[in-house]
Amino acid sequence: MSAENKPVREIVTPGQVISTDPSHLAGRGAVKEADQIISVFVGLKEERGKYINVVPLNGLYNPQIGDKIIARVTAKTPVKFLMDINSKFVGILKPSDAFRRSHSNRGYPKSMGTYRVPKENEMGKFKMGDMVICKVLSGSRVEEPTLTSLGQELGPISNGVVIVISPTKIPRVIGKKGSMISLLKNLLHCKIFVAQNGRIWIQGRAPENERLLIESIHKIEREAHTTGLTDRVKAYIIQEKKIRGIK
Amino acid sequence: MTILVQEPHDEVCFREDGKRLDGRAVDEIRSFSCEVGVIKNAQGSALVRHGGNQIYAAIYGPREVHPRHLAKPDRGILRVYYRMATFSVHERKSPAPNRRENEISKVIRESLEPVLFLEAYPDSQIEIYIEVIAADGGTRCASTTAASLALADAGIPMKSMVVGVAAGKAQGKVLLDLGDKEDKVGQADIPCVVVMKDKSISLLQFDGEMSLDEMKLGFEYVLKGAEDIYQSQLEALKSKYQKISEEALKEDAKIDKSAIATEEKIEDGPAEGPEDLPQNKSEDAVDLPVAEKVEEKAAEPKAPKAENPAPEPEGKTTPSNPPGDA
Repeated sequence: MSAENKPVREIVTPGQVISTDPSHLAGRGAVKEADQIISVFVGLKEERGKYINVVPLNGLYNPQIGDKIIARVTAKTPVKFLMDINSKFVGILKPSDAFRRSHSNRGYPKSMGTYRVPKENEMGKFKMGDMVICKVLSGSRVEEPTLTSLGQELGPISNGVVIVISPTKIPRVIGKKGSMISLLKNLLHCKIFVAQNGRIWIQGRAPENERLLIESIHKIEREAHTTGLTDRVKAYIIQEKKIRGIK
Repeated sequence: MTILVQEPHDEVCFREDGKRLDGRAVDEIRSFSCEVGVIKNAQGSALVRHGGNQIYAAIYGPREVHPRHLAKPDRGILRVYYRMATFSVHERKSPAPNRRENEISKVIRESLEPVLFLEAYPDSQIEIYIEVIAADGGTRCASTTAASLALADAGIPMKSMVVGVAAGKAQGKVLLDLGDKEDKVGQADIPCVVVMKDKSISLLQFDGEMSLDEMKLGFEYVLKGAEDIYQSQLEALKSKYQKISEEALKEDAKIDKSAIATEEKIEDGPAEGPEDLPQNKSEDAVDLPVAEKVEEKAAEPKAPKAENPAPEPEGKTTPSNPPGDA
């Protein structure tokens, strides 16, 4: 984990030739042109087997199926909610994917009679501006993603704070096998939910804890391309806790 | 009483010692500096100071197209808004967009389109706002340089950086990077935009009279000047991150390792977070597309996706993955 035995990854720029080895293949963030592999992003070059990848340092969130994201209700039609998901797409949340079904006579034969469950006004359950933790059900590069808010960890957010960082920095906030996020939770006694679209829900024991947590996350975002980040953040939090008198 | 200083209209563009009025040689560019990330609200931004020019460029998108009918189902569209501030020139410029601004917006757009993978963003648009704060000749070239920097800063995939620089002729001599006066009283002006990957030209305008030999010399100057500007561009893009890395290294040296270790033992007590609230699971980190270095995944690297709807013919540049996919 120490900074010494981690190789420093090179920062590359668009159009830069990153490999001329014919056995290499262009991975993410790279294209092959004749025998040269060129980068298309400002990013960090990394080699994985025979693939040469460029991890971009800035960019937008692109929804992928299964991602857990934090969405905001921005508009309603009579049959669906339109959600802002911090992407070029508008997420679609239908009431059938958002609320549990009321139990009418499902599974019973008609002879047993029906009983009518009064129809709820499902479209009125979310207001404009509500934040909802959702999962991406479907969607592609050309279609708007369909969301669901039914499931473990999903649902509307009623308390806490939501902050926004660049979606490309999210993996660093989570850390390798969740190391960074468990560090933040343990040191600051906060609840954190990191969504893939760059939004982070946090709730702290006290406002001071929340404030330090937000500053730590912004520090991680700023220094996301550097090595030895976990140790540095740990030292920063310990030092700031002493200065601010946070327990 | 205010004395309005007239713009100089004599034809003299050279000093007695043979150098240009600002002391440059014929094949020398004006002072050039640039920085990126100057506008917080934009997806990417750049500030370019080229001679007396001072130009901001900001990128927004890819995002939805409004009005919707402009959207193309097979490719994204690029929209460029080049505007001059009212105070950027000697006489006040009307703030309304005029014919010249619309033309420059168009030529900048066409010079940038070849280096972008617009086919990867169907039904969406990328917007470039270019604001000229101070104009000193050659703004369309400097604007293209700024737009290219801002696009790279925004993380929009590009085949190459582009650089704009002009050649021209004044008082019978071929010049590189005309200033305001040389532009106005000179005999010819060739604004060029160079794609730096293969040194191809993506914008070429020509105004005035020049012989073929003079034009060849002009292009030699342009390629030389473009290389200088390109190096400044790369430095600006990298220094944004390198500065932070250097600060981080200094901070690393100060860390008291023993303090971290003792704290860890105290903190390894029972987990704090209540179970009823959303908690991130550790597996999340492994599934991430750009997880920093996951050795477990080394054996199965992400192959180029086959579902790219607009693949180019083989042998040409093909985005091996949908660029926004990362």
